[in-house]
Formats: sequence, C-alpha cells, structure tokens
Amino acid sequence: MSNEEFRRELNSAFDDMSGSPTSNLRDRVRAAIQEAPERRQPYWIAGVAAAVIAVLIVGVLYVGNPLRRGPSTAGVVTSPTPINSSTAAPSPSPSPSPSPSGQPFICTNETVQHPGTTPAGGEISALRTGAHSGYDRLTIEFVNGLPAEMKVSVQSGTTFVMGGSGLRTTLKGQNGILIFLHDSDLHTAYSGPLDIVTGYKGLAEVKRVEDYEGYVQLGLGINGPACYRTMLLTNPNRLVIDVQTS
Amino acid sequence: MSAAVIEQRPQHLARAVEGDPESFSRLIEPLLDHAYRLAAAMLGDRHAAEDAVQEASIKAWRKVRQLRGDVASLRSWFLSIVANECRMARRTRWWSVIKVAEVDLPPAAAPEARSDLHRALLRLSPDERLPLVLHFYLDLPLEELARTLGVSPAAAKSRIYRAAKRLRADLTMEEVF
Repeated sequence: MSNEEFRRELNSAFDDMSGSPTSNLRDRVRAAIQEAPERRQPYWIAGVAAAVIAVLIVGVLYVGNPLRRGPSTAGVVTSPTPINSSTAAPSPSPSPSPSPSGQPFICTNETVQHPGTTPAGGEISALRTGAHSGYDRLTIEFVNGLPAEMKVSVQSGTTFVMGGSGLRTTLKGQNGILIFLHDSDLHTAYSGPLDIVTGYKGLAEVKRVEDYEGYVQLGLGINGPACYRTMLLTNPNRLVIDVQTS
Repeated sequence: MSAAVIEQRPQHLARAVEGDPESFSRLIEPLLDHAYRLAAAMLGDRHAAEDAVQEASIKAWRKVRQLRGDVASLRSWFLSIVANECRMARRTRWWSVIKVAEVDLPPAAAPEARSDLHRALLRLSPDERLPLVLHFYLDLPLEELARTLGVSPAAAKSRIYRAAKRLRADLTMEEVF
C-alpha cells in the first residue's frame, strides 16, 4: 500500500466513523450556550459564598441542636419554595440539581431508556417534586446502586393498570407518563406517600402503580401535553423527569 | 472559513469575553464540524459525539477568558476541550441517555465491510486515534496539533508516528509527514 493509498484509506475509515453532524448540531450548541449558567465568577466571590455557607451551616447546627429542643418541638416544617420532599430517612444533601439544559423536551409517544448498572439493586429512597420556571420536576432518588433498567414513556389519558391487582387507577390531569424501573423497589428504603398530588401547573400527580418482585412503576398525571426530558444524576443516584409547562 | 468570518473573530472574541453568548456562538460555529469529526473518531458513536461537542461548547464558553484574546489559538484550544470531553464521556458512558426516536443517523459500515485498516483503527485507544485524526483527517499544522495535544511539536510528531505504525508497521517517518 502506497503512502497516498494509506492516507486515502485512513480518511475513508474516519469518514465511515463520523459521517456528517446532524443539521441541528449548530442550533443545539447555540441553545446550550444561551441557556448555560453564568460563567464562573472570580475567586473572591467563591470565598464570599463559602463564608456565607459556613455561617448558614453554623446557624442550622445551632438552631437544630437537639440539646436545645424542648419536649414539644414536633411539628410540620414548611418550605418557602414550592418543593415537596418525601424521604424515608434523613440523608446527606444531594448535589445541586442541574439548571435547565439544552436538552429538548420530548412530546411524542416514545420511550426513553436509561441503562442501569450491573449488578443492579437501586432501591428508591426518596420522591421529590418541585415547580420551576418552565417545567415541573420529579426526582427519584436511589440508594445501593441503580435499577437494571429505567424506561419513561408517555400515554394519552391518565388511567393506569395497577401491577399485580390489574385494577385501574385514574390520576389527575389529561395525559400520563409511566416510569418503569426493573430491579428496584419502593418499600425497603422509602416510607413516604405513595400518591402525591402536587397542585402544579404541569405535573399534577405522582402515584405508585406497581411495586412487586423488583418491578416498580410510577404513574404521572400531567396537565396538558406530556412533554418531558430525563436526566440521570449521581452522588446520590437520581433519575430526574422534567415536565414542560410553557 | 470565509474571510469575513475570520476578520470578525477578534470582535466576536472580545464580546464573548465580556459575556455575550451570541458572539461566542458565532466564534465557535465554524469549528463545530471539526469538533464533531474529532469526537466521532474518538468515541466511535455519532450521538455521543454530538453530545460531547455540545458539552464541550458550554465548557469553552465558561472558560473563554483563558484565551486572553488570542484568536490564533482558538481552534486548538477548543479542540483540546472537545478531546477532554470525549475522555470524560467514555468514563461516564454507562449512564448516557438513549433516545430511541432520535436514532436517525445513517448507519456506519457493517463490520464485515470494513477494511483491515479500518478494523486496526478501531482497535486503537481513543487517545491513540486522536493524533491521527488531527494530522491525517483534520489536517492540522504540526504546531497547532501539538497545542491541541498539550505537548511539544516533537512529542506530537512522535505520537502521530507511533499511532500510524500501529496501523501499518512498515511506515517510515517520511511517509507520515
């Protein structure tokens, strides 16, 4: 093989591997840059932020000190933000949820799959919902790994067939999203509500549809079209489903 | 890249450094094709390549001040960020999202249709493929290629030659450069 042939064949192989970028790559990149969070500020801002966080931690420890509590401190803690949290037990604060990314919302009837881990065994430890600008968010937090398989699909209407019993259940809203998890459960590490009615603009209700022999299904009742996007985050492991509201 | 685009690059860079995302987008748009081809060759996956280019663009946007107004280094700087993003993507590939409905790219050549050279190329690690892509496929000048790899020109030359020799053992240095 001559030098020229070698070069030609090598470039041909690279062409086979790469092809051409899709026509929307430019738009994707542009949108991602427009929506990206602000660039990192100078270090002194990080220093001020660290000092503020330290003060907050000291304040929380001071206020939350059990030695300062009287016998009748039990009560409901309300949050100023419209975020509901249902967890089985206190856990370290998760890393911050991501800000909206350039990832588009999916509005058609299709399935999004997240390959889980092997060996699998992610038990659900928390279900959190929150309303944000432009979307409502459901966060499913796992402990002990991740399910082997995670699928999200949309459906017309909000009637779901309950696993095991075969009974039907109808959620609030007009359309539904079904989250299917294999090698997971909603009873070992989770003891929160199994039916969460949010009152949000998009995500109206989250309800357990199945939790049996390693199969978990969660039904989501959606107001309006079920347009969504998913993300899988780590530390701790979380599956995030954003439902578009505008 | 057209002459008009090249002429406007210093202005775009200056505005990007001041925080204008539109100017930054215009600055890197001419580089996206190279960036995509680099990522696709390193990752061997076209969807992952586009994701890596998108992620690298965001990281570049956050770091644009590092360029210090040096437009001449823009391409090597951006491609090195893309290469780093590809390395990151390979480490975290297991949790990537598969969107079934978006699988609309033309299929790559079937394994049996690939040439011996193609198969040998696939056996190289992404970091071994990187200098080959930059030299043979993207045709970068040696100085720029070295900046992208973050090594001296002599070291870059050596990496290209070593990787090329793994594809064809009888290559001489003169045949590569």
